[in-house]
Amino acid sequence: FTGAGGGNDIQWCFSQVKGAVDDDVAEADIISTVEFNHSGELLATGDKGGRVVIFQQEQENKTQSHSRGEYNVYSTFQSHEPEFDYLKSLEIEEKINKIRWLPQKNAAQFLLSTNDKTIKLWKISERDKRPEGYNLKEEDGRYRDPTTVTTLRVPVFRPMDLMVEASPRRIFANAHTYHINSISINSDYETYLSADDLRINLWHLEITDRSFNIVDIKPANMEELTEVITAAEFHPNSCSTFVYSSSKGTIRLCDMRASALCDRHSKLFEEPEDPSNRSFFSEIISSISDVKFSHSGRYMMTRDYLSVKIWDLNMENRPVETYQVHEYLRSKLCSLYENDCIFDKFECCWNGLDRQVHIVMTGSYNNFFRMFDRNTKRDITLEASRENNKPRTVLKPRKVCASGKRKKDEISVDSLDFNKKILHTAWHPKENIIAVATTNNLYIFQDKMN
Amino acid sequence: MLGRGLKRKLSDYEENMAGLSSAFDSSRSLPYPLKRQLVLNMCLTKLQTYKMLVEPNLHRSVLIANTVRQIQEEMRQESNQQPVNICPGIAPGSHSYTGMESSGISLQLPSGVSQQESNCCDLRSVEDPIENSLLIVSDDDMSSAISSILKDLDFVEDISPPTCLVPPGDDQPKFPENTGLKLEDDRQDLKGAECVFGSFEISNSTSYLKDLAIDDIFEDIDTSMYDSDFCCPPLMPPRSPSLATEEPLKNFPSCNSSSASNIQICRTDLSELDHIMEILVGS
Repeated sequence: FTGAGGGNDIQWCFSQVKGAVDDDVAEADIISTVEFNHSGELLATGDKGGRVVIFQQEQENKTQSHSRGEYNVYSTFQSHEPEFDYLKSLEIEEKINKIRWLPQKNAAQFLLSTNDKTIKLWKISERDKRPEGYNLKEEDGRYRDPTTVTTLRVPVFRPMDLMVEASPRRIFANAHTYHINSISINSDYETYLSADDLRINLWHLEITDRSFNIVDIKPANMEELTEVITAAEFHPNSCSTFVYSSSKGTIRLCDMRASALCDRHSKLFEEPEDPSNRSFFSEIISSISDVKFSHSGRYMMTRDYLSVKIWDLNMENRPVETYQVHEYLRSKLCSLYENDCIFDKFECCWNGLDRQVHIVMTGSYNNFFRMFDRNTKRDITLEASRENNKPRTVLKPRKVCASGKRKKDEISVDSLDFNKKILHTAWHPKENIIAVATTNNLYIFQDKMN
Repeated sequence: MLGRGLKRKLSDYEENMAGLSSAFDSSRSLPYPLKRQLVLNMCLTKLQTYKMLVEPNLHRSVLIANTVRQIQEEMRQESNQQPVNICPGIAPGSHSYTGMESSGISLQLPSGVSQQESNCCDLRSVEDPIENSLLIVSDDDMSSAISSILKDLDFVEDISPPTCLVPPGDDQPKFPENTGLKLEDDRQDLKGAECVFGSFEISNSTSYLKDLAIDDIFEDIDTSMYDSDFCCPPLMPPRSPSLATEEPLKNFPSCNSSSASNIQICRTDLSELDHIMEILVGS
C-alpha cells in the first residue's frame, strides 16, 4: 500500500482483542455491529443479546510515540430487550442491527442503536464530580425535620470516580412492519432515515411520535414481491439525497426534494449481468449487503456476496472498479446455498479521512478480511486470530489456494471454516486503526508506527 | 403459543442434500436438468422450512422464491418448445417412476438436444438413487409454493393457520385420480385434505414433517373463508396469463369466477385490515 508518509506500505499489526477466549460461543455475545464515533476516540459494538459496549481510546502518551492509545471499556448498557408482539404472536429479537454515532455537540455523546423494530437515541455522559455537603438528610438518608435545620449550607462539588451513564433519550417505535436493516444520520444532524425490507422512513431526532415514509416498495399483492431493500444511506454532504440498495443488485439514488414519496428514483445504478457467469444463484449473489458513500460523496461502494464495487455517482450503467473478495467461492455456490452461507451479509468500509490513501476493507470466511488499495490496485488478505497475538508484530498476509497444487502456507478452499465469518469491520476516521469483529471477539489492528 | 418455532432435525434427507450439493459443485458431468431439479428441490425445502420458523426472513424468502420462479420460467419455455406432458402426479418413493418410463418426462429436457436425451435415459437408470430422492414438482405447485410463502409474509393479523402440512396417514394424494376438485366438496374435507403444499411429500425420510399435527390446534377456528385458497391455485398473476390456457394437464380446475372474485374481495379487505392494524399499533 502507498502510505501518506512516503511510499511505505501500511503494515498492520495486532493491537488488542476483546471478548471471551473459549471456543464455545454464547449466542448473546455474537457481535452484530461495530462503529467508531466521529473522532475515533470511541468504538461501539452491538451484540445479539441487545447490549452495547463502548470502548474508549486512552489519551496518547506523548513519551511513548511508538503506539497509539489502547481501547478500554468505557460503558456497557442493555440497549434493547427481547419483546413479544402480541398481535402477531412473534418474538422481536433484541439483536442490535446497527449503531450510528451523532457528532459531538457538548460534553455528552449520542448514538442511535436499532434492533429489528425500534430505534433508540442514547445519551452517554460522564460524571466525575458530585455535590457534597447537604445538611438536609440524616445519616441514614431520611430527611431531617425542617425545624431542626438552622443553618444554610451550600453543597460543594467534589471529585468522584468517573461514572459513565447511558440513558435512553428518545425511543422511535412502531414505524416498521418489516425488519430494520439500516439507519443513517443526515448531514443536517437533525434528521435520520431508517430502512426495513420494504420501506424507508424519515425521522426528526426530536420527534418520536411520527415519521415520514419516503420509500415504499411493497406491492399491493405480496405474491408479486420480487425485490427487497437491503441497505440505505444518506449522502454525506447533500441532505436531500440518499441511496438504497436492493436484493437484485441495484442501487437507487433519490432526491427528497422531488416528491414526498420517493417512489421514482433520480438515478438507478445497475451493472448488466455477465452472461458467462450465469448460474441458478446469480440473483442471490448479486444481492447487495452493504452500501457506503465515500467521504467526499463522489463515490459509493457496494458489497455483494463475491465482490466489492465502487460506483461513480455520475455513471449509472456500471461500477468504475470491481474487486473480487473470494472468487474461489463461485464454484461452491450450491454448497453455500445449501448451508445458507450464501445469505451472509458482509459489510464494507472506506479508510479514514486521508486524502492520499484510498483503501476499502471487507470481511470473508475463516476469519479472513481483505483490503483493496484503489491507488496501487494491490490487495491483501489478513487473518484475525489469537495466534498472532504479539503487539507490534506485523500480520502475515494469507493466501487461499483455489485449485491445483497448494503451496506452503496457503490454505485450500475446502479447509476454510465457514462458521468463522467476518461480517463487520470499521476503520478509524482519522488514523490507520481498524476494528474487525469475528463471531464473538473484537480485534483492533493498527499500522506499525516507526 | 403457536408451535411455529420448530427446529430442523438432521435427517437422512438433509445429509443427502449436502452430498448432492457438493456433487453439483464439483461435478461437470451432472446433466443440466438434474442440476436444475436439485436446486429446485433445495429451494422448496427451504421455503417449507422457513414457513415453520418463528418469523421467516423476508429477504431470504424473496431470494429463494425468485430462484424458483427463474427455474419455473425456464421449464415453461422448454415445455413450450416441446409439447411434453408435465408430470402431474406426486407420489412418494419410487412410484412416480414406474408410470413415467414410457412418457420419459420426469426431467424437462431442452428441445433439440437429442444426444442429451439419450444420455439422460441412460443416466436415469444409473442415477435413480439420486432421482428417487428428488421430488417431481409441477408448475402449479411451484407457483403455489411461492404464493403461499409470500402471502404468509403479508402480516395480515388474522391470517389462517398453515393447514398445509399433511398429517400422517393421509399419504396418498388424490390428484392423479381425480383431476377436478370441487370447491364445495372440499370444504368438508379441508382439515385432512391435501393442499398444494401438502403435495410436496419431499421424501419418506422427512418424518419431521409428518409428525406435525398442526390441524388439531386450529380445529375450532373457522377457516372456511381462507381455505379455498389452498384448494385451488391462487389467482394467476397477470404476468403469466398464458398458463391457464396452455397446460393440457392441470391439477386443479380454474376457480369459477364467483369464487375468484370472492377471493379478490377477501384480499382487498385483508390489505385494508393490514393498514388499519398498522395505524392502530402506531397510535
